[in-house]
Amino acid sequence: MAEVRPDEISAILRKQLSGFESEVDIYDVGTVLQVGDGIARVYGLSKVMTGELIEFPNEVFGMVLNLEEDSVGCVLFGESTLVKEGDTVKRTKRVASMPVGDQMLGRVINPLGIPIDGKGPINTDKVLPIERKALGVIQRQPVKEPIQTGIKAIDGMIPIGRGQRELIIGDRQTGKTAVAIDTIINQKYTHTEEAKKLGITPVYCIYVAIGQKSSTVVQVVSKLQELGAMDYTTVVSASASEPAPLQYIAPYSGATLGEHFRDNGKHALVVYDDLSKQAAAYRELSLLLRRPPGREAYPGDVFYLHSRLLERASKLSEDLGGGSLTALPIIETQQGDVSAYIPTNVISITDGQIYLESNLFNAGVRPAINVGISVSRVGGNAQIKAMKKVAGSLKLDLAQYRELEAFAKFGSDLDKSTQKTLARGARLVELLKQGQYSPLPVEKQVVSIFLGTNGLLDDVPVHELKRFEREIHDYIEVNYANVYESIKKEKQLNDTAMSEIKKAAQEMLATFKSGV
Amino acid sequence: MSEYKVSRRYALSLLESAVDKKIVDAVYADMGLIASALGTSKELTHVLASPIIRPNVKLTILEEIFNLKVKPETIAFLKFLIEKNRENLLENIALIFLDLKDEQDGIVSVEVKAPESFTVDQLEKFKSNLEKTLSKKVRLNLIIDSDIIGGFVAKVGDTVFDASLKHQLELLKKQLLKGGASLN
Repeated sequence: MAEVRPDEISAILRKQLSGFESEVDIYDVGTVLQVGDGIARVYGLSKVMTGELIEFPNEVFGMVLNLEEDSVGCVLFGESTLVKEGDTVKRTKRVASMPVGDQMLGRVINPLGIPIDGKGPINTDKVLPIERKALGVIQRQPVKEPIQTGIKAIDGMIPIGRGQRELIIGDRQTGKTAVAIDTIINQKYTHTEEAKKLGITPVYCIYVAIGQKSSTVVQVVSKLQELGAMDYTTVVSASASEPAPLQYIAPYSGATLGEHFRDNGKHALVVYDDLSKQAAAYRELSLLLRRPPGREAYPGDVFYLHSRLLERASKLSEDLGGGSLTALPIIETQQGDVSAYIPTNVISITDGQIYLESNLFNAGVRPAINVGISVSRVGGNAQIKAMKKVAGSLKLDLAQYRELEAFAKFGSDLDKSTQKTLARGARLVELLKQGQYSPLPVEKQVVSIFLGTNGLLDDVPVHELKRFEREIHDYIEVNYANVYESIKKEKQLNDTAMSEIKKAAQEMLATFKSGV
Repeated sequence: MSEYKVSRRYALSLLESAVDKKIVDAVYADMGLIASALGTSKELTHVLASPIIRPNVKLTILEEIFNLKVKPETIAFLKFLIEKNRENLLENIALIFLDLKDEQDGIVSVEVKAPESFTVDQLEKFKSNLEKTLSKKVRLNLIIDSDIIGGFVAKVGDTVFDASLKHQLELLKKQLLKGGASLN
């Protein structure tokens, strides 16, 4: 049996106590005047800064938001029942900050950087403020590298670049989170040896869950774990049961963690799921702090709330290491109303948006992306050449199809060219459907879209298209492997590859038809 | 919240006019008296705050209490306050006046907590040391509090100089918990 000797204990105690200094401790204090609903009003604290962390009794922390003439308004990050009127409040003399570091990967933390996954403390040596100023013009450069989401409709038509801010917007139950999670899962490839050889740098992911059910967060985490995506991902969770101030700062802590990677020349992707709930949390505490309400009862600075957050997404200049922070904010609309206050604000801030629609979702088009009104304002420069080449006509074909879709019920009464457009469109729509958790590598996407836009799928029945696509990918992998290799290496679709894909499609089609 | 602003404004003008008339010290004493009277008597505060009682009755009450104890200028100020319907702020005004006067004279009042009372010699030494560190005149207000075990706690405005044993034990506890001492 192990024994503990008393002298061993005293040695450890002596070691611990050796650094202890007993000097006069000087600190600033205030007194709680009023407390309730996660808000406290404090008298005193005369030199306190806005955004400063203050310490209440019982290890409750708060953040100063309002500096008034004779009192200080602050929000509590803990139980407001533990704070009483007349309690003494201490200044900490530092603005609200969180520990950051690579050790955070694979962990679930709260917005103050404290782990909540029960895997023990995280030992980091760096602490950064949660609210940081976004970079200026000099420190940035244009977005030029792609971030592959693995979703054909997005990578083909709404490409996202590293350092971009792309909004995912839609009603409830339209697969907004699914798009974001698929993107995180697809980054697994960037961490492989193969990607390293091809010059693709790894992308670290941060998923910020704001005001969600804890069960949903657990589900997401376990799915990421199952697919091996947790190794390069941190989940910041401020679930619905958390006080509003924590939900309010959650996206900022996510951004701070992302900036840690960005500033070290790495690439990071942050998903804010979702900002409408954060705005609601901010509205709650603004009203409690008696800030005047504006439209939809949101405070006047709700635009700044989101603009200062999303402005932190950036692509650093080469001098600063060329790191990037990509943001994928999510907004939930009510009954497809994008003209509400928060959606219009965030649409105007971001570099494009992906619209998800519930009627598409119910019609079986999943991901339910409305490609007609979804745009990406900067990602086009980041698309690889091969994708640019094949996807060029995709958007146009689909637009033509939608225009004629209403005539589809007339069937054979239509003229040849209209019928052809309808047939092509139906196949393209089918081609862009994709299951959840099954992101497709970019070279396979290129081949699929090439087949679709060049009419090589026109002879395949729509209901067999998925199977055909799957089989031709396997067929090319076995028989024309250098097609994929050339796309991956050169990022171009050269003539030999094109003719080989065509050849493969014809061969495949012949066997496929006889098989049907 | 505007109460503070208003009280400050009245107090400031009272101070300025007192300086002009060179009766600052007398008014200072008067205000101290008024503040302590209002602080000890809840009834008087209620009477002043009550909108039911007529202003002339309030004035008579105040005059009767303070007439011979304070300067005529102070009585005039009380009259002025009642005229302006600000008599409910009297206590605030008095307290702010005292603060403003102290600020003008470079005096800070320091609240000192100690486990047992000091000797006169100790007190003088303590005071002069404090005056040296703060480079201001100090008015000591000693409170005996055995909770702090040993040492002292001095509070100057919002800043606390904590040299109590209790606080040091708390810090020690924190450090030991943070150190994560393990036997492995």
